[in-house]
Amino acid sequence: MAMVDVRNVTKVYRRDAEELVVLNGLSLQVQEGDYAALMGPSGSGKSTLLNLIAGIDKPTSGDVVVAGTNVAQLGETELASFRSHNVGFIFQFYNLIPVLNATENVELPLLLTHLSKAERRSRALTALKVVGLADRATHYPRQLSGGQEQRVAIARAIVTDPKVLVADEPTGDLDAKSAHEILDLMGALNKDFGKTIVIVTHDPRAAERARTQHHLEKGVLRD
Amino acid sequence: MKFLPYLLKHLRRNWFRTTLTVLAISLCIFLFCTLQSVLAQINVLLDGTSAKRLVTRNSVSVVFDLPMAYASRIQSMPGVERVAMTNWFGGFLPARKEGKAEDSSTTDWSNYFPNLAVELEPFLAMYPEYQIPPDQYQALLADQRGCVIGRKLADKFGWKLGDTFYLESFIPVHRKPDGPFEFVVRAIYDVDPAKYPGTNTNWMLFSRKYLYEGTGQTLRAGTYYVEVRDADKAGPIAAAIDGLFENSDAQTRTETEKAYTASFVAMAGNLALLLNGIGVAVTFTILLVVANTMSIAVRERRKEIGVLKTLGFTSRQVMGLVVAESLLIAAIGGLLGIAGSRGIMWLLTNTPGIKDALAGIGLSEISLQPLVAVLGLGVAVFLGFAAGFVPALGAYRARITDMLRTV
Repeated sequence: MAMVDVRNVTKVYRRDAEELVVLNGLSLQVQEGDYAALMGPSGSGKSTLLNLIAGIDKPTSGDVVVAGTNVAQLGETELASFRSHNVGFIFQFYNLIPVLNATENVELPLLLTHLSKAERRSRALTALKVVGLADRATHYPRQLSGGQEQRVAIARAIVTDPKVLVADEPTGDLDAKSAHEILDLMGALNKDFGKTIVIVTHDPRAAERARTQHHLEKGVLRD
Repeated sequence: MKFLPYLLKHLRRNWFRTTLTVLAISLCIFLFCTLQSVLAQINVLLDGTSAKRLVTRNSVSVVFDLPMAYASRIQSMPGVERVAMTNWFGGFLPARKEGKAEDSSTTDWSNYFPNLAVELEPFLAMYPEYQIPPDQYQALLADQRGCVIGRKLADKFGWKLGDTFYLESFIPVHRKPDGPFEFVVRAIYDVDPAKYPGTNTNWMLFSRKYLYEGTGQTLRAGTYYVEVRDADKAGPIAAAIDGLFENSDAQTRTETEKAYTASFVAMAGNLALLLNGIGVAVTFTILLVVANTMSIAVRERRKEIGVLKTLGFTSRQVMGLVVAESLLIAAIGGLLGIAGSRGIMWLLTNTPGIKDALAGIGLSEISLQPLVAVLGLGVAVFLGFAAGFVPALGAYRARITDMLRTV
């Protein structure tokens, strides 16, 4: 069964009278436990596709079925609930909350659950341990390197044990060594924890780590 | 509650801005509570007045006196029930004892209370709210040194019937050459607080005759209290009294007791309007300041709001967080303002000199009423909500992809 099933999706942005077709009848399947890379030039629609899979945007037409749920048919509140239960999002620029330390940043998605404070803290620390940052639990983002910040962001993405991890250029802001470490970590999450991963990248080395690669151009797949 | 630590952390993000915003709100609430407390106390004073009672004073100022001959002329006017001559004594405790006239430095200003020399029979007849047992009333009339004091005053000094004390006035013409006036407590008046909620029981009244004779029979009338038969005719009668003395050396100004008390307290203009005007202006200004601050705070965190939504926070939750943050700032500011207001009122009513000045205009018991404090907190909460709502609505409506795109 496909964990991600994108069916004939079109995404059109309207700016004043102008219409911009970003995705044009695109279909894509990512199997459960797969590690898929979306590649393509700027403006090809790969980030838009990732946003649709993550449920932070909705298609103009077509269906996006993730973990058995057609996110295209969900309302705003259901979509938020869907994201919190099914999707872990990793940003290019980490997007950690600067006033929260590593543990508190990782704990943030758990505030939406019914877990007790102690349980939330315990899970956040476990997630930090998984990404190798247990010793930086009380550090604030400004006290961490870029690679460490991204690891905290990954811990935040996995702390709710989502079915799908989506990453938008996760190594785009990192030096080669840190990028390598992050890619190792994502590989381990896929291999050891069975996470389905969809990654958008320009970096061929990052794409090579994925099991399947999909190339987009002008809103359609060129496999 | 689980979001509270998150909110508190955000408040510390820009502690300087947060502190200034909290201080702005606290200043607003401080002013609101203090001004409203002053107004409440003035209203208590005014509520204790009667529409049937008029006060006639010198048209120039209350500090200038009037001829005693005016009494009979006012009394003879149609619609006038009775007239009582009064003089503001201005006595202080504890004063010099008889025979120690040379020592005038012992005047104690810290225990000042209002004291008035009146024509006892007509004056007390005008004040049915003063409940005096008949035997005490007779004893009061029988003893020229006798005085009647309110229950609160009796409790304050522990005075009982028959106790004596000395008072000396700060007004030179109210002093007698051989020392201060001696008074004997002959009556204690009570007031039914349910029936007459604004009536003070911290006054002292004594016979004007005692003052008149003690000061060498040169004393003129300070004010005339006039009771009219029909409250509806108080206005025309007041005008008629002033018309009667229009061409005399000492022209009069007659007004209702309420207006007289209000002018005596406020000394100028419509104090309530002025104070409320200041309060509204300050509140509105602070609202704009806080709204602007919250807008900036939300604009700075557009990306962060996008992240929260990506993590699964609903738009409503994000909106709630923004409003809650604004409310938290407002509540802290409000509580600080209330505490400050309470503190300043305590300071005013417990600082010698200031306390006495307040007592002189009937504001000695000014305090922060619970209702005013609750209202103050309500204003703070309103400020917080109003200031946070628009930025929160923006956060509510914003699309995640637009927010994340923010640089």
